[in-house]
Amino acid sequence: MPESSFEDFVRQHRQNFEEAGPHPRVWAQLEQQLAPGRKRKVIQLMGRHWLKAAAVLVLMINSVMIYQFIQMKKAQHLTNVAPEMQEAKMYYTAQIEQRLQTIKGYPDALLGLDSMARKELELRNDTYQVLEAELIQNPGNERIKAAMVRYYQLKLDLLDKILEELREKQPVSQKQSDYEREI
Amino acid sequence: MQASANNLNNTTITDHLVSRCKKGDMHAFRELYNAYSGAMYNICLRMTGSPADAEDTLQDAFMQIFRNIERLENAGSVTAWIKRIVVNHCLSHLRRKKVYFEEVDNIDIEEDNAIVDEDNFAWTVAAIKEAIHILPPGYRTVLNLYIFEEYSHKEIANMLDISESTVKTQYMRAKDKVRQIIKQKNVIR
Repeated sequence: MPESSFEDFVRQHRQNFEEAGPHPRVWAQLEQQLAPGRKRKVIQLMGRHWLKAAAVLVLMINSVMIYQFIQMKKAQHLTNVAPEMQEAKMYYTAQIEQRLQTIKGYPDALLGLDSMARKELELRNDTYQVLEAELIQNPGNERIKAAMVRYYQLKLDLLDKILEELREKQPVSQKQSDYEREI
Repeated sequence: MQASANNLNNTTITDHLVSRCKKGDMHAFRELYNAYSGAMYNICLRMTGSPADAEDTLQDAFMQIFRNIERLENAGSVTAWIKRIVVNHCLSHLRRKKVYFEEVDNIDIEEDNAIVDEDNFAWTVAAIKEAIHILPPGYRTVLNLYIFEEYSHKEIANMLDISESTVKTQYMRAKDKVRQIIKQKNVIR
C-alpha cells in the first residue's frame, strides 16, 4: 500500500513500532542498588547539613569536656592534694568553731564588732580561700602549708584575745545591772 | 472539558507520585518505574540497537532518575525530564562505543532530497524496523531522535553538539538509506 511519506507512515503506526517492556531483572537489579542507596541518602543529607552537624558535634564535645573539667576540679580537694593539711585543718577548725560559738553567745553590743569584722572572724574568709586555692594549685609548696598553719594560729590567737576581753567586760556589766536593779 | 479534567487528574497523581519518590518511598519508585520503563526501554532499544545494552542503559538511567528526583522542581515536566535522562544515557553509551557525530556539507541535502521519491513506495513497520536496525549508528541516532522521540532538528543539534544543518542532512541520508535497504530486501525476496 503506497504511503505519502516516511514520516506520515511512522506517525500513523507509531504504537506498532513499540516492543515489549524490559525484563523483570532490570527492576530487581535497581531494587538491589536502591537499598544501600537509601543508607547513602542519610549520609548525603548529613553532607548537605555538614556545617550544622559539625557545630552540634563541637558543642557536644565542649559540653563533655567542661563537665569533665568541673568534675576534675571537684576531685582536686585539699584531702587529695595535701592529706597532712587536712588533719591540721580539722584540728584548728574544731578549735576555732568552739571559740566562735562562745563569742556568738555574747550580746552584739558587748562584742562591739561590726558585720565586716565579724565576717572576718569566720573560718572560711577570703584569706583562707586564697591560701586553700593556692595549695590545690601547688600541692607540694611548703611555704603555703606553713602560711595556712600560721593563719590558723593567728586566728586562734585573735579569737582568744577577743574572748579574754569579753570575759573581762561581762562581770562588770553584770554587776552594774544588779546595782541598777537594787536602786 | 473531560480531557482537561483527565489531564488535571493525571498531573495530581504525578505530583503525588513524584513527592513520594522525593521522600525515598520504594513503592513510589516502583510505580514510577512501571509507568515509564516500557517507553524508556523502547528508546534505549532503538538507540543502542541491542536488548542487552538497552537494559543496561535503562538501569543506569533509572538509577540517576531515582537519585536526582529531589532536584525536579516541576512534577508536570517529569516525562520530558525522564526521557531526556534516558536519551542522554543512550548517547553516552554510543560515545563509549566510539560513535561520532560529525559535521557534513549542506549541499548533500539537496542531492538526497532529489533521490527521495516516496509516492510509490510501500512502507511496512517490520521493514522499517529491520532497516533502521542495520543503519550506521550515527544515522540511526539522528533518525530515531527526530522521528520516534520527536525532538526538533535544533534540539538534536544541541544534544549531539553538531550544527542544525548537519542534523537535517544526516536525517535525510538516514531516511534514504532506510528506503534503499527496504528496496534491496524487496528485490532479493
